Amino acid sequence: MTTTTFGLKYVTNVGFAADFGGRGFQLPSSMAIRADGVIFVVSRGKSSTKNSNGIQMVTKNHDFLGQIGTYGAGLGGMMWPTSVVLDSDENLYLADEYFNKVTKYDREGNPLTEWGTKGSGNGQFNQPSGLLIQDQLIYLVDSRNNRIQMYSLDGDFQGQWGSEGDGEGEFNIPWGISDDSEGNIYVADWRNDRIQKFDSNGNYISAIGEGDTSVLDRPSDVAVDPDGNIYVTDWGSQRLLVLDQSGSILETKRGEADLNPWSMEYLSSQDDERKARESFIPVYKADTEDPSEVSARMEPYFWDPVAVELDQDGTVYVLETGRHRFQIFERI
Amino acid sequence: MTTVHSRQEALLMAHLLRRAGFGATPYEMDRALSMGYQAVLDDLLNPDHPDVIPDDLIRRYHVDQSDLRSGGGAHWVYRLVMTDTPLREKICLFWHRVFATGTTKLIQNRVVTNQIDMFREHGMGRFDDLLVELSRDPAMIMWLDNQDNHGSNINENYGREILELFSMGVGNYSEDDIKETARAFTGWRVVNPDYMSIRMRNNTARPYGYMSWQFEYDDDDHDDGEKIILGQKGKWNGEDAVRIICEQDATARFVARHLYHFFVADELPVPQWPHEEPRDPEAIDVLCKSYFENNHDIGAMLRTLFESDFFKDAGSRYARIKSPSEMVIGTMRLAGPIDLPSEETYMADAACANMGQALMRPPSVEGWQGGTEWINTGAYVERVNFAGRILNDSDKQGVRDIIDRIKALSDRQTITSDELVDNCLEVLGPLEVLDTTRHGLKNYASKFGDLKWSDQSLSSEFDRAAVAIIQLVVSSQEYQTI
Repeated sequence: MTTTTFGLKYVTNVGFAADFGGRGFQLPSSMAIRADGVIFVVSRGKSSTKNSNGIQMVTKNHDFLGQIGTYGAGLGGMMWPTSVVLDSDENLYLADEYFNKVTKYDREGNPLTEWGTKGSGNGQFNQPSGLLIQDQLIYLVDSRNNRIQMYSLDGDFQGQWGSEGDGEGEFNIPWGISDDSEGNIYVADWRNDRIQKFDSNGNYISAIGEGDTSVLDRPSDVAVDPDGNIYVTDWGSQRLLVLDQSGSILETKRGEADLNPWSMEYLSSQDDERKARESFIPVYKADTEDPSEVSARMEPYFWDPVAVELDQDGTVYVLETGRHRFQIFERI
Repeated sequence: MTTVHSRQEALLMAHLLRRAGFGATPYEMDRALSMGYQAVLDDLLNPDHPDVIPDDLIRRYHVDQSDLRSGGGAHWVYRLVMTDTPLREKICLFWHRVFATGTTKLIQNRVVTNQIDMFREHGMGRFDDLLVELSRDPAMIMWLDNQDNHGSNINENYGREILELFSMGVGNYSEDDIKETARAFTGWRVVNPDYMSIRMRNNTARPYGYMSWQFEYDDDDHDDGEKIILGQKGKWNGEDAVRIICEQDATARFVARHLYHFFVADELPVPQWPHEEPRDPEAIDVLCKSYFENNHDIGAMLRTLFESDFFKDAGSRYARIKSPSEMVIGTMRLAGPIDLPSEETYMADAACANMGQALMRPPSVEGWQGGTEWINTGAYVERVNFAGRILNDSDKQGVRDIIDRIKALSDRQTITSDELVDNCLEVLGPLEVLDTTRHGLKNYASKFGDLKWSDQSLSSEFDRAAVAIIQLVVSSQEYQTI
């Protein structure tokens, strides 16, 4: 019998703390990768720097291509964006949990339409947190209503499943959503510390990370490769976990970002910071076991990993809210 | 069986819950009266459970509070409003005022939040332990430049302030003591001191956001020579300096006067203390005695204070002007719990700032003086507007409860406007007010006439009248005191 060892190696990272807009991100919450390699990263921004809101377009080679959408209530605007996804025509869809709406943009970034209001009825949301498009259906994680809703690509309600709880098919403030090559759907059931797997009609299949001994701690997002390996941004433990279908851990990553070209360019213009950084120790023994605080101290580590995406080559992208960047890994 | 409590018991309990907490909702008041004063005090001093705060929810929905730059005050506001261990939070506010550390210089919020967490853990323990933790606290180290305090070249800043502002007060030490204390704290710094200092000075989040700080002791940078601190000679390190400081009578008196100022009655501003006797010298003596008899334990001093005649005396009630945070948090707790995510915590944090107490942004290392400093025309208007805004919705859980209890105090389905005022003052405290205030409230309420709630229309009308009176009560002069 041949055993295949799973492994990931760090390649680079893309990002920069863009306080006032421009090249970089500000508290990014979601990302989507287009077939031509353009990566859409949505910045949640912060109330004091409104122009940092938007969908930034970059490549994994550190090209910055501009921005779609801005802060605001009008068509195309956003305030607390949570999830971005592409359809097969390369239109872009953005969920916003402040406005409780989904906005659809065309390939050029022009807003086409939006739908959604706050509520718990059909076609209403209470803080949408994740989007998935499969065939001609949008699956939307309606986080505070603890359910998954389905829509047509123009926003017509098609169905729903789920309710509050910790049983099969129940949720506790779910977050991200993804699917596998067979069309099964995986939901990061955040406060139940598990990933639930459903068929495309919402029928429960299985779960990873059940109960008090769960290997997961507040998972925020999930992705599945063609081999069925499950990638989880384990937000609570601040790690990327890769698991097989039985839930066994194949790989764990804590993050290992170094200075990317945008950062080095910045430091080259800041003489005092560059010199002081010569004696900088990026990772040291922390005197706390709180993963979030450790992440806040160690620059290379993931800090609030909120999204994991795979591109068509199987390259892994992990987006971190706290560090305004995504780290890229490849299979060994 | 219904237990009837005397009015004096109720007034004293309300006094304790205002001072050792943020006032009581009617439900909390019922519970406290059923437990009795001593049991409530035991519970306040020794909460048997950790304070539960849904940190995961806060971090998920208020991502700026997970990041370091902003939201620290709002984060704390959530805990202050929702806590069921109010004295533990109150003592954090107390030490935040004494050991004032601010984001104005530090730029980032998280390290100050971490400092408040440290107060939560050590704030009611031994003063020695608290001072050691304070000296190791990264926010304090950067706030007072101790990362620049080297064995070969001392920076006196922390050595001076630990003596002047944090433990003994002006006039109880010499300039040599400052230098020698500073020498004892050489080598007490944060990890990566140079880079962290420059980032702070440049106020930059680049390239990858802020970084939290960690304490580090550098033995190579410590001056291990002999020192004389407050008359004691030895090769002292920082822990030794703290031990020597905590043995001093002046330290006991300084801590005692601060506790009296915060929990009993407004004192003169701290800078005047070296020149003016305490408001109640005997009370300070009692607290000093407790300090030494209980191994410098702050919790024991608080027990002494809350069990004392000088605290229980009717003259101590309403002898302090509410700080903005006490005003804001107390009013929000009356209105009911906060949902997440919510803009309310940000609004409340901003309201505190507008009233003169920006949490985590004290005006200087001397903190806030309190007392009459809290009240001026602008601040009073802000107080009235805030309280009125928070309590204007009869559907809010807390407001609903207040209204229902106002009704329940009447054995009929009707109430006079005078009764409405009396019942409202009873439910909101009991709140003791001057006769002129009560008369003014009744005069205003008279426009409502007799009120009923026998059908939905009348009930809505009653709700509107009750909310109007509640809003007027929280605008009163008496509600501004504690």
